[in-house]
Amino acid sequence: MSDSKPAFNVDRRKFLKVGGATGAAVGGLGMGLFGYAAGKDPNSYLGWQTYEGVNQFFNRKRYEVDKPTYISSGTPRRVDPRVDQIFERRGRFMMQYMRGRQQGLSGPDMFEEPLRSYYRENPEVLELDILNVEEIQPKQRVDSRIYGQQFLLAEAWANAMGAVGPRGPQGPPAENDFPRQRRMMGSRMPGGDQPQGDMPTPPTVRNESGQVDLKDPVQTARLIKKIAHELGSTLVGITKLNPDWVYGYPIRGRGFENLDEPLEIPEHWEYAIVVGTPMSWDPMYANPTYGTSSDAYSRSRIVAARLEAFIKTLGFPARTHVPGTSYDLMVPPIAIDAGLGEQGRHSVMITPELGSNIRPAVITTNIPMAVDKPIDFGVQDFCKHCKVCAENCPSGAIPMGDKVEINGYLRYELNQEKCQNFWNSCLGSMGCRICIACCPYTRKANWLHRTALNVTANDPTNISDKVLTSLQKSFYPGPDPLEYFMPSMGGSNASYREPPWWLKAEDFIHFTPGTGVGP
Amino acid sequence: MSFFMSGFFWFLEGALFCIFILAVRAWAEDRSIPMPYWKWISLIVWVFFVGFTLAFIGTSFGEGEPAAAIRGGILFGVIAIISGVGLWRLLKIGNIPGEEEFATATEE
Repeated sequence: MSDSKPAFNVDRRKFLKVGGATGAAVGGLGMGLFGYAAGKDPNSYLGWQTYEGVNQFFNRKRYEVDKPTYISSGTPRRVDPRVDQIFERRGRFMMQYMRGRQQGLSGPDMFEEPLRSYYRENPEVLELDILNVEEIQPKQRVDSRIYGQQFLLAEAWANAMGAVGPRGPQGPPAENDFPRQRRMMGSRMPGGDQPQGDMPTPPTVRNESGQVDLKDPVQTARLIKKIAHELGSTLVGITKLNPDWVYGYPIRGRGFENLDEPLEIPEHWEYAIVVGTPMSWDPMYANPTYGTSSDAYSRSRIVAARLEAFIKTLGFPARTHVPGTSYDLMVPPIAIDAGLGEQGRHSVMITPELGSNIRPAVITTNIPMAVDKPIDFGVQDFCKHCKVCAENCPSGAIPMGDKVEINGYLRYELNQEKCQNFWNSCLGSMGCRICIACCPYTRKANWLHRTALNVTANDPTNISDKVLTSLQKSFYPGPDPLEYFMPSMGGSNASYREPPWWLKAEDFIHFTPGTGVGP
Repeated sequence: MSFFMSGFFWFLEGALFCIFILAVRAWAEDRSIPMPYWKWISLIVWVFFVGFTLAFIGTSFGEGEPAAAIRGGILFGVIAIISGVGLWRLLKIGNIPGEEEFATATEE
């Protein structure tokens, strides 16, 4: 008997093979789509308005070392901010230079001590300081009028982020750092209100100085770190304060009366808590014109001020050091001591999580805490080969050569004057930050860059440093450094990457003819 | 969270990978190609490299780095093609000529 219907004979092996080929194609497509999703993933914007991104924290434990990766090479000298700190020096320079010019003076004789001696020893610095005032800033003002509209939203963004910030110290450490006498939960602060009538005396948790009796430094460190994160800090570390990092003299705006009297390090500056937040990632990549440091510094400043209030409420002294309200010390080496990262060729600290995209603040205190260890995750070897920041730096401020001794420590010598002169030439939100944007470590937290980070951190041969550096240079090119300059200096106001859509002023604002958008 | 970042996506990828491996096994059996462990390892490494290349291209586009996507795609893609050709030749090592026809005739 024959079957009237044709047999539907499926060859199972053939089906399996076709299925396998289809599976491979679909799986491959899936990998591409996974990659696209990972690249767009909001969690890769690490630390921006959240401290709970996926895989946020790098496991520092295995990279901990007993000594920081910077090298002591001579007798340490505390920095004299009156001449060594460019903002402080240029503040003094401006006043004395204008006055000296009116008096018909020239050269180092225009200045009072210590600037006079400093400029005599460093005439090239005086030349660059004068260039800034006489040439760069006037040109910037003209270019800003012609081309500045393009960066109007960036400027507004920077101003918005910088608009909120707590006050800085209102006096020297002995006056400002200690808790005010007022009623506190848990007991009375010294000199506070006495119990009234038949009110029972509460059990005290404080000693005679008003400080709470803390159980254990390890637990206190854990508490302080948790609070810092809750207050908005992306990264936090704790270290004993190395006196070498405290300025030799006080600077303006910190509540000191005599700025020419050496700064004595107060006893209660025993520990340093370092907090830090990143700049918003997309504007940061669009530096030098669209990014701003205000976004991160504003947040770090607020975190630091809140942490200061928290510590003071426990009865311990505390003092914040952060831009906007300035510093009494150098922050990067303290952050390195606290295990947040290592110093890069561009003199900026590089962290495993945020790369160079971090703006730190320090709180000095004496609340007893366990300290963190510094880390070594391969940055020194990487920076030796990489030089991406030096090659991309339009001002030539970042050295291509080896480390030199500065104030008793070996480090790459950044030319502060060239660096800040370029800052001052930029249109938009002020500043440069190209070295931060192009640093291979400054990458969003996705699988690709995390894998690269783990490879470099764990490769004892340093072969991966060279391979990844050459991939970085060929895969992630930036504009020609000369293009970053403003038009009157031969450039085109280029940015390292395109700005995010919400900072493109021309898409939102109607410009009247003649104002000119872009070069 | 995007579907492509979810655990379920990786479950599906794993299932597709298993089907692919079974298919390769059937393909090798049908052609009487011996598949010792080193061939499997070479094949799996190559598949992972191709997956890496595709994910690299996607990630670079996703994070707004088209130059990296194109340049990386070309570099890793060329490496994947060349190594794929090499792998193809490697896989055929040990093939007994005529066995394939014999196996097909027996099945029929």
